[in-house]
Amino acid sequence: MKVTYKWIKDFVDIDLPAEELAQKLTNAGMEVEEIINLNEHLHHVVVGKITKIEKHPDADKLQVCQVDIGEKTVQIITAATNIFVGALVPVSLPGAHLANGIKIEKSKLRGLPSEGMFCSGEELGIDDNFMPGASVNGILILPNDFKIGQSIDVALGLDDVVFDVGITPNRPDCMSVIGLAREVCAVTGATFKMPEMTHIELAEKASKQLEVELLSKKCSRYMAAVIKNVKIHRSPMKIRQRLFAVGIKPINTLVDLTNYVLVEMGQPMHAFDKKHIAGGKIIVRDAKKGESISVLNHNTYKLDENDLVIADQEKATAIAGVIGGTNSCIEDDTQTVVIESAVFDLKSIRLTSKKIGVRTDSSARYSKGVYYASAEQGLNRLLHLVTEYDLGDIYGGCIDKNFGAPKARVVKSSASEINAILGTKIAAEDMLRILNSLGITTKLENGNLISQVPDYREDIENSYDLAEEVIRIYGYDVYDKGEADEPYSGWKVTEGRLGERLELERSLKTALKFAGFFEAMNYSFIPADAPEKLLISDNRRFMIKIANPLGEELSCMRTTLAHSMLASLAYNYSVGNKSVKLFESGKTFHAHALPLTELPQECNKLSMGAYDMSFAEFKACLEAALSETSLSYKLVRSKEPFLHPGISADVVDENGEVYASFGQVHPTVAKNYEVPKNTLYAEIDMDKLLALPEKRFNIKPVPKFPIVERDLAVVVKEQISNEDLTIAIKSACGKLFYDVKLFDIYRSASLGEGMKSMAYNIRLSDENKTLTDEEVTEVIAKVLKALKFRYGASLR
Amino acid sequence: MESKLKDILNRALSELKQVENMQELNEFKVKYLGKQGELTGILRGMREVPAEDRPKIGALVNEVREKLEAAFSEREQAFNKAELEKELQRSAIDITEPGKGHEKGALHPTTRMFNKLIDICVAMGFEVVEGPEIETDYYNFEGLNIPKNHPSRDMQDTFFITENILLRSQTSSVQVRSMEKLSPPIKIISPGRVYRNDSDGTHSPVFHQLEGLVIDENVSMADLKAMLTSMMKKVFGQSTKIRFRPSFFPFTEPSVEVDVSCPTCHGKGCKVCKGTGFLELLGAGVVNPKVLEMSGIDSKKYRGFAFGFGVDRFAMVYDGITDLRNMFKNDIRFLKQMK
Repeated sequence: MKVTYKWIKDFVDIDLPAEELAQKLTNAGMEVEEIINLNEHLHHVVVGKITKIEKHPDADKLQVCQVDIGEKTVQIITAATNIFVGALVPVSLPGAHLANGIKIEKSKLRGLPSEGMFCSGEELGIDDNFMPGASVNGILILPNDFKIGQSIDVALGLDDVVFDVGITPNRPDCMSVIGLAREVCAVTGATFKMPEMTHIELAEKASKQLEVELLSKKCSRYMAAVIKNVKIHRSPMKIRQRLFAVGIKPINTLVDLTNYVLVEMGQPMHAFDKKHIAGGKIIVRDAKKGESISVLNHNTYKLDENDLVIADQEKATAIAGVIGGTNSCIEDDTQTVVIESAVFDLKSIRLTSKKIGVRTDSSARYSKGVYYASAEQGLNRLLHLVTEYDLGDIYGGCIDKNFGAPKARVVKSSASEINAILGTKIAAEDMLRILNSLGITTKLENGNLISQVPDYREDIENSYDLAEEVIRIYGYDVYDKGEADEPYSGWKVTEGRLGERLELERSLKTALKFAGFFEAMNYSFIPADAPEKLLISDNRRFMIKIANPLGEELSCMRTTLAHSMLASLAYNYSVGNKSVKLFESGKTFHAHALPLTELPQECNKLSMGAYDMSFAEFKACLEAALSETSLSYKLVRSKEPFLHPGISADVVDENGEVYASFGQVHPTVAKNYEVPKNTLYAEIDMDKLLALPEKRFNIKPVPKFPIVERDLAVVVKEQISNEDLTIAIKSACGKLFYDVKLFDIYRSASLGEGMKSMAYNIRLSDENKTLTDEEVTEVIAKVLKALKFRYGASLR
Repeated sequence: MESKLKDILNRALSELKQVENMQELNEFKVKYLGKQGELTGILRGMREVPAEDRPKIGALVNEVREKLEAAFSEREQAFNKAELEKELQRSAIDITEPGKGHEKGALHPTTRMFNKLIDICVAMGFEVVEGPEIETDYYNFEGLNIPKNHPSRDMQDTFFITENILLRSQTSSVQVRSMEKLSPPIKIISPGRVYRNDSDGTHSPVFHQLEGLVIDENVSMADLKAMLTSMMKKVFGQSTKIRFRPSFFPFTEPSVEVDVSCPTCHGKGCKVCKGTGFLELLGAGVVNPKVLEMSGIDSKKYRGFAFGFGVDRFAMVYDGITDLRNMFKNDIRFLKQMK
């Protein structure tokens, strides 16, 4: 909300520096986000009168002017062509810093001194809407009644400051100059003056000119005034100056006045050309299903019974509170206007505005809520301005149709209750003073605070609301001044808890961190074609779609973390980053049915992705993470469609439940994502890991007798797995088995096609004695025999 | 005989001084102390010594032998020490060569800040509660005193799935769920991911919050201030100060924005805090009694307060990260700096 300081001063008698007032407002919850000095670029610019023009002796295009700037006459050399003797013009003098960045200094032009420059409208930061002639390509010729020598900011009414105030949704009343003026009173102790509302009206009654029928509860009050002989032309300077200052384009008297009242009083208004109101009757009613209306933005909208329209006896003439129809708008030949000032239900306006996608100053204001008395105050203020500027003849007695004024609200509280909420010791007298300064008329009765809430403060309903009013004006520094209660008095001691899910997630993340992986974080959104790119044909292709996504790429909720991870790896690859290892913890979302009728299933997943790393290294990192849990697992070939079928595995328990899948990505997927062919990916189901029992250990004693080692290399077919061989070795060793490790794999032509040599380090121990050489040899012979028998292995 | 022994001793000792290496030392040992050595030779010649002189000469021989052996061993140790010294010097390596084995990775700055904040809260007696990211309109809005089509909905641009199902825009949704389930005293934090339909240089459509809720008898705004002061000191250091500014949230009344003294300049004013000395980092307030009542908690008996952090923003301030986009880009050149 933008307001100017001078406008506020119309209703409050104060003279604080702007910065000081802004700080006070911010401290009270009216956050001044920006202070704009309208005259920032107008210092050292004055009104001057050109008294003499001569040609420059040494330059064809330059003219030498003598300019009266009040206290003295200065010489200015100019190339401007639209100037003449006697013209009043803006003169920028040395020290000026204009809106377009030009800095003025004394200079010499072709040998003659020039003590300044004439300004165009653009150089002053104004245009034709502000002052006629300001947009022309040349020097701005000022009106003849401007005072010679006067500073230009004062002459243009720009010696003012604009406050841009952030208004919270609970304070729609402050979306107006008078609302903020009331706040200014509360924070400064000054007295609020209501704007003047009187007007002169004709003896002839408005009700003879116009009938209003109020049929819908979506409008709690509908007021209308009728003005004849309306004068539509450029608005008075003051109106234009103020609208310009708060960022509204001045247009003509009628439009400007409604805008002026909207800013000043917070009441939106609409003007109809009376001659287009069929039957001389306005009907405020719900739209009919399928009813359509063409409006001022050149579009036609279809409405239904949820929308409110202003109609005459034949047609809808406006979408209430949102936008006017083309069939009733003001034109150059308009003679008599109907001014509407109404209170529309904010929910209805919000729905309609959102549905048809039209947002106007009026709908924006109605969307925040307008109070009952505002319609009358706004209308009276407008009529006052019509009288003041002689803009037409007002028919007597405004039309006022309504469903009755809301009941005055009384809130009962007490100083002790408010202090208990705040934990403070603020005196009841201070509370009385603050509440009354805010217009909340409050009395102290038998220790209770009895507050009459003004109609514009619909947000105040109970002691908590009053507590907020008290503390925001009293100041939150109360807690730093020793005026507050001791904290934590009488609290119960509670026990903190991190929770099992976060504990698990943390331990997995920590394990991966120490394994050399970096944590990534991606949006939960993926594009609709992600499953296709990942070759997914199962349920995961049924993704939950966002109704209002930021774009196609971010339109669906992910059902796997693979897309995000591969995209992150692809990004790193594209910028030339080497040996990238990432992991991400996040949720995947799975609908029970689409479209959603109930909340979907959310699964906690952990993904890993890497390139420039071997399968074996990657596997070790994954296993390091899994070893944080009590999972006992084996590996089987994975069926994940986005993984290479021969270079991937599922981590399964004894029941075949899959806890994780990992491996090299499918070559087609690698191509789709533009990641290296040897890219590795893993996805771990954290929810399944969470369901496992806590990891416990059953510690055995350290062997008493020495461990004996033997190395054994066997030649087997490629299809025989390490797991096959180690299980066979273990079982052949029987009770003497201690450990087995594959330490070398060797392939060569001499071993034969499709053959490999697997070298194991086998460790044996007996818990009762030291093993003899013969015993060990015997066991190893048994192992070899078993490998030969089961897998056709031969000793290398 | 006696003079012969003295002569051997003097000769040997002076010869030992000339020995320059281990080989010469060994030759020396053979020459004087070996089986064929000169001292052994003397012992062999004992037969020619008169019987009465033998003990004396014998003792003298032993004395000479001990002296020679002591001198020899001293010399031998010196040689060994020098040899070891040389060996140690020879085997010196370049200690600035990089370590081997895999490099350590790192957690995301947001996770690190989450861990820090959560640990602080847990130590203060808060229980962590989590909830769904896809929520119903009720838990995200209505149960928090944000009715449908109410102006307070304008404060957050929300992603919708259907009319009634949405991506939670605040983790306060978890608080409503908790209030329904638990009975006071309640002291919970809800960390998690939230979504807003807003994306520019300072807004990410996905970000992370940690919200706290305390409900008990006799809690007040003063307790909130004290608790947040204590938390912020634990995050940013003992000299940290906080200040309240009035604000508005539908679920708290009174509501405040919480400014934390700038950890970069300690309140003096710098680029990070735009010269103000403070950063706007939290929202908080006393729980609106309407919210308590909606969740079935007696607002006459109990009061509550709530606070919410933007964890990503905390992390950025803490780690001096200036570009929000880096937080979700996963560029290893960014992540590696967190090692």
